[in-house]
Amino acid sequence: MKIKPTVLNKIHTKHTSFEVDITLDYNVTFICGESGVGKSALYSLLEELAAEDKRIRCFNYLDKKKRYKNSIKQSKEKLFVIDNADILLDDSIRGYIALDSENQYIIIGRNPTGLVLSMDEIYELNSENKNGKTLFTLRKQF
Amino acid sequence: MITIYKKKAIKNMELVALNDVYFNKYTSDMLDEKAANIIKKIDCSEMLDKYTIRSRFNGNVLNIDKLSTGCKTVLNIMYNPDKVFDICECGDNALDVIYSLPEGNVYCDYPFISFDMEKVNVCDKSGVHEVTSYEELKEWWTNED
Repeated sequence: MKIKPTVLNKIHTKHTSFEVDITLDYNVTFICGESGVGKSALYSLLEELAAEDKRIRCFNYLDKKKRYKNSIKQSKEKLFVIDNADILLDDSIRGYIALDSENQYIIIGRNPTGLVLSMDEIYELNSENKNGKTLFTLRKQF
Repeated sequence: MITIYKKKAIKNMELVALNDVYFNKYTSDMLDEKAANIIKKIDCSEMLDKYTIRSRFNGNVLNIDKLSTGCKTVLNIMYNPDKVFDICECGDNALDVIYSLPEGNVYCDYPFISFDMEKVNVCDKSGVHEVTSYEELKEWWTNED
């Protein structure tokens, strides 16, 4: 569902030789793509950014047994970054996210079913090496 | 060839959903030179020793726990033929490798098929049989069982 971003429309962060420069066009940004292109590396970089930006909350497979669904449902004006979405997000929470206009999401996974996304909202990670540094950006998958 | 299981057909075998955790705890100790090719093919990284890789990004030397989930899933399947692994987090490149493995057991909630598939075994409540086409496999996967 195309809703404008409610928390951030751009993220720029840096970690040693890695740099992230991503534009968030919609409230849900679904990132998919081949294995090994750096999706979980991007998650780690955003997790570090979350340490200094309280609007960002990150969940991955390590949170599977934790109350991350409640955290999502009880929050407002947060940007949730969710890696391993295929194992963390069941049909019910996908339905909730699809209709949630109070929080924003970056979801890293393979299967966008249940999130009611248009093709415009599905992205792949792009990485380029510039002067010994790796820059991560997003490009639309379709 | 690999064997694809329906959930109800997984009896007396462990289904592993958290491939990252399983790899980090168990499979990482089992790796040998066979793993190097897989790591090169899927993650474009170089296996330096059992626990270290040289990343495709900037050539950084990293612990092997930094492999992609897709690559870890392939290695889990290769080195643990007595267990069933959920493949839902694999990218297309990892999926192609899985369908080319000489053995291994996999599961996914929904049809997840490599366009390169030639033949696989499928296991449901009626037993195990061989499937040799994409269409036949998709039909088997979408049938209730």
